[in-house]
Amino acid sequence: MKLEKDDLIKLYKNMVLGRKIDQITIEGLATGKVLSFFHSGQGSEGLAAGVASFLRQDDYLYGHHRGHGIVYLISKGCSGMEFLAEHYGNAGGCCKGISGFHSVDPERGVLGSSGTIGSSFPLTLGWGLAAKKNGRQQVAVGCFGDGGSNRGTLHEAFNLSAIWKLPIVWVCDNNGVAQYTPITDAYPKEDIADLAAGYGMPGIVVDGMDVLAVHEVVQAAVARARAGEGPSLIEAKTFRYRTHSEGSPDVYHYEPRPPELVEKWKERDPIKSFEKKLLAQKILTKKDIEKIDKELQAEADEMDRLATECGKPDPSVMDNVLYAE
Amino acid sequence: MKETIFVMAINEALKEELERDEKVFIIGEDIQQGTFGTTSGLVQQFGKDRVMDTPLAETAVAGAAVGSAMAGYRPVADMMFSDFIWIAGDEIFLKAAKWHFLHAGRVNVPVVFMGAIGGGFKLGAEHSQCPESVVMHTPGLKLVIPSTPYDAKGLLKTAIRDNNPVVYFYSKALLGTAGRIPEEEYTIPFGVADIKREGTDVTVVATGMMVHHALAAAEQLKDKVSLEVIDPRTLEPFDIDTVVKSVEKTSRAVVVDEDTLRCGVTAEIAAQIMENAFDFLDAPVQRLAARNIPIPGGFMEEHVLPQPKDIIAAVEAITG
Repeated sequence: MKLEKDDLIKLYKNMVLGRKIDQITIEGLATGKVLSFFHSGQGSEGLAAGVASFLRQDDYLYGHHRGHGIVYLISKGCSGMEFLAEHYGNAGGCCKGISGFHSVDPERGVLGSSGTIGSSFPLTLGWGLAAKKNGRQQVAVGCFGDGGSNRGTLHEAFNLSAIWKLPIVWVCDNNGVAQYTPITDAYPKEDIADLAAGYGMPGIVVDGMDVLAVHEVVQAAVARARAGEGPSLIEAKTFRYRTHSEGSPDVYHYEPRPPELVEKWKERDPIKSFEKKLLAQKILTKKDIEKIDKELQAEADEMDRLATECGKPDPSVMDNVLYAE
Repeated sequence: MKETIFVMAINEALKEELERDEKVFIIGEDIQQGTFGTTSGLVQQFGKDRVMDTPLAETAVAGAAVGSAMAGYRPVADMMFSDFIWIAGDEIFLKAAKWHFLHAGRVNVPVVFMGAIGGGFKLGAEHSQCPESVVMHTPGLKLVIPSTPYDAKGLLKTAIRDNNPVVYFYSKALLGTAGRIPEEEYTIPFGVADIKREGTDVTVVATGMMVHHALAAAEQLKDKVSLEVIDPRTLEPFDIDTVVKSVEKTSRAVVVDEDTLRCGVTAEIAAQIMENAFDFLDAPVQRLAARNIPIPGGFMEEHVLPQPKDIIAAVEAITG
């Protein structure tokens, strides 16, 4: 799909707004407004926006646990206000304050989010199976990290998705570290995408800091899936700017993560580098960028305000949700 | 009414539900041939897309079922032996059980997990369990354990139509047992116990194979003590009212279950009897279950799982 000017701006805005909500969540944790924990996704916005901005509304999407999926959710059209309210434990949350931090938006193909890493593989398999069965050319996009790729569930789901030729796009956010364990001690090769060969599906490595590059390979895999040609695996090389979980030590194993490494990756920041491209191509001016930033900050602040003011849920919210009728 | 056997009652329920609703499908390892016969012969009528054989991958079987259930289907995941549910623990206990609640009711998970429970075949510690306590313990899962062909068919049809995850355990030792079922279609509601034998002296609560052991004990004791045998049929929802009503009449209760004793189903039911029928009781509630060791194979099995003689001894202990 060829991107028009508006499409490029949409990609840009999804990244910027997503990072702003991520930042609000970080600050909310510091002030006690966020009740649980937060695993910031800053550094992976290019991947998330590139994956989710141009999916069909009814395509299934399992976003990454980094940022609790915020950039994926925003890009899929889900509510940032509901995301924040859920983290605040408030009634306006996507799960009415019951989940603490999980996301759901069935109308936009987000059927839930998991507390266990790697359980998304069998679930995405099921969504892909449903998509194939119903014949509506839906696609299921299953995102996971380099940490998640270590789970055995990956094998069972990859294997069956390939045997059954399901319309699934597997997307790995390889940011080089799972909690405190660097990828070099968790995977024996350079590219996780190499796993794809064992299942006879395409395995593509892409620069996850380049939103356009991600968009291109994802859309190609989506088109392949929609055409009934089966699953693909995309591995995006990204970097986790912050520590695993806000407030936790910033280490590889037990030793401090080299600050120069973080700085080196930040030079290739997905938002900043896309900004440069948009300026060079005269899609946006510096003034436009300032204006967008201001508008999106106001939008994020308004989400925060609404998420805060909607208040605590009544405990009766739990009365009738154990079972469906 | 017509004569059938337990395994065919399950098979008929599956067949009728596959015919009734195109969203229903069955998924599992080697179900086209069928390990226990419950799914045999269905692929010929419904095809490979609705009677799906999988490779050896219990986690993916359960995950594919849970995922497709969330996306509008009504899968029956045949886990083969109930012991294999542990391999899909995340999918069954964290996802199927919790996701409707966790997401404030915004997604439904109408899936059935089917598995064979119990002893009788000397298959040892990893093919003879009755992991029903942990299912009953987990909020969000319904639990069905039929003891007759009639119950097996009617409850399975209800399970498939339920909009929630249902664990459906059947005793492998009962698969060949005969019984009568209606010619016409029927379903059995959840949470309604069935009195398998009326009596006046002692209430015996049991499920699955233990219902038959209780009936055997009742027959042997009939000249001395009159046993009322209650089969809850579903442990979640659990019909405590029928049990309390019986205890009001008998004043004595024995609870029998094939899962392990400690923290088991019998503990829960005995506690509920105590909470709801304390004033009617003339003796402590007796509990019988598998001993607190893994189920052994070979000749050792019968020394660990409750037998009719154990029920007789428990009854005699409180009727003296």
